[in-house]
Amino acid sequence: MADLPVKDRLAAQLEDHGFCIVPNVLSAADLARARNALDRGIALTRQQLGSTHIPTLDPNPSSIRVNNLPAMDAVFRELLLRSDALTAVELTIGPHFLISNFTAHVAMPGSDSMKLHSDQALVVPEPWLRPWAMNIIWCLDDVHAGNGATCYLPGSHRFHTADEVPADALSQTVAFEASAGSFIAMDGRLWHTSGANRSGQDRRRMLFAYYSADFLRQQINWTLTLPADLQAALDRRSRALFGLSPLGNTRLALELTTLPGTS
Amino acid sequence: MYNTPQLTGDLQQGLDNLAEFGYTVVPDVLTGEQLRCARDALYRAACDDRQRQREQLTFALDYGEPGTNQRLWNVLSRDPVFEDLAEHPRAMEYLRAVLGWPALLGNLSANICAPGCPGGYLHADQTFLGEPWPEAGPQGLNCAWAIDDFTEDNGATRVVPGSHKWNRPVRPDEMSTATVAMTAPAGSMIVFESRLWHRTGANVTQDQHRAGIFAWYTKTYIRPQENWFLSLKPEVQQFGSDTMLTLLGYKSHGFGLTYGRSPR
Repeated sequence: MADLPVKDRLAAQLEDHGFCIVPNVLSAADLARARNALDRGIALTRQQLGSTHIPTLDPNPSSIRVNNLPAMDAVFRELLLRSDALTAVELTIGPHFLISNFTAHVAMPGSDSMKLHSDQALVVPEPWLRPWAMNIIWCLDDVHAGNGATCYLPGSHRFHTADEVPADALSQTVAFEASAGSFIAMDGRLWHTSGANRSGQDRRRMLFAYYSADFLRQQINWTLTLPADLQAALDRRSRALFGLSPLGNTRLALELTTLPGTS
Repeated sequence: MYNTPQLTGDLQQGLDNLAEFGYTVVPDVLTGEQLRCARDALYRAACDDRQRQREQLTFALDYGEPGTNQRLWNVLSRDPVFEDLAEHPRAMEYLRAVLGWPALLGNLSANICAPGCPGGYLHADQTFLGEPWPEAGPQGLNCAWAIDDFTEDNGATRVVPGSHKWNRPVRPDEMSTATVAMTAPAGSMIVFESRLWHRTGANVTQDQHRAGIFAWYTKTYIRPQENWFLSLKPEVQQFGSDTMLTLLGYKSHGFGLTYGRSPR
């Protein structure tokens, strides 16, 4: 990704399509680590919360959700902070962004779709002119239409208002296709839904690393959520990305020192 | 030069003022003992900071000699009387009407404008959103408490009435746009919305200080200026009302969650 032509190509894809797929970036070893850590995360979630089903998100319990991945295993923190992922985020949001959330979604056979949405439309008032959020979706399995890959509405990252979403949007969605070990970088404005897993046998594991512009409130309060020893072990940049400083939305006031008349 | 709103204690008239001018002044909200307590606590905190060299001498939006406009951040941690201001029922009325509920407290900060303070730079508080701003109206609201009289001469916050209707930030070549002082007697609550162009006024008096406390509220998708979970003294949330806990982000939905749930 440091290779400039590649970076340019990604930027062009993100601009044109609202997503790009970066194939096969995880080593076999890291893929295995992530899968094993996710298994432990699922077990831990069942133990702590009693269920991995979030009824407000998913229509049935065949959709497994695991919250708070960065607290669960080092491999998840590594994924969040990987330079290839952060490069894709920066290409879209710009240099000032935060880690908002990192969750897993496992579509077991029989799992069904969420409601169609764009991440940005859920929280930010219209018009949606710029990308203020991005999902880096880590594929831990080959994902495709048959096993519940995320489905997107082509071109919808250009919608400025909800009125532009067509009535039959759902039937126009297309499933992402990517191999295990790839990531899909998805603009926060792209309308999408989880697919239904009709494979009968395969489970489809995806991790959603969600980043947002630094003036937006993070979905997760990392100050309260990340264990103190983990927070203490983070380097300066990682702490900033998690928003673990006493100061919050104050960057612009500091930058305004460059206003005319100031020195 | 500009029409300005009449002081009013009537909520509907105040909301009409906000719509027309971008601000309104509600007189006599703090009176007697409560005003004295707030004033004493603020000046004591400011003195404590100065004695320990903790005061912020310069701030991006101020100009002039360092120290002529003393800023105090997170006064919510300094004295319980400031908790009363942050969740004052009159402030909550305006907050609910303008931004809706739930909303967040982004900061509770103060400035004390001393004689010789030349004032500050013209700005609007939702500038961080970038352009164009949402058409849905203001995304934040300030409830400023006049701890001293706010006068033409002592550094009352100055505004461009009606500038909220332009729905855009101040451009560099508009910094000297004419302004008027939001004059208000001590104890008033000055409500102004996040699109209004404003700045600290110059204090041209010989001997008057002008203290104000600014409660900055936002819609819940906006990141607060203070990370209250690190910076706030614990008893505020320990004893906090549901209103206070909501304002601080302890009662959350969709954002600011812990383990996928509201912190409290």
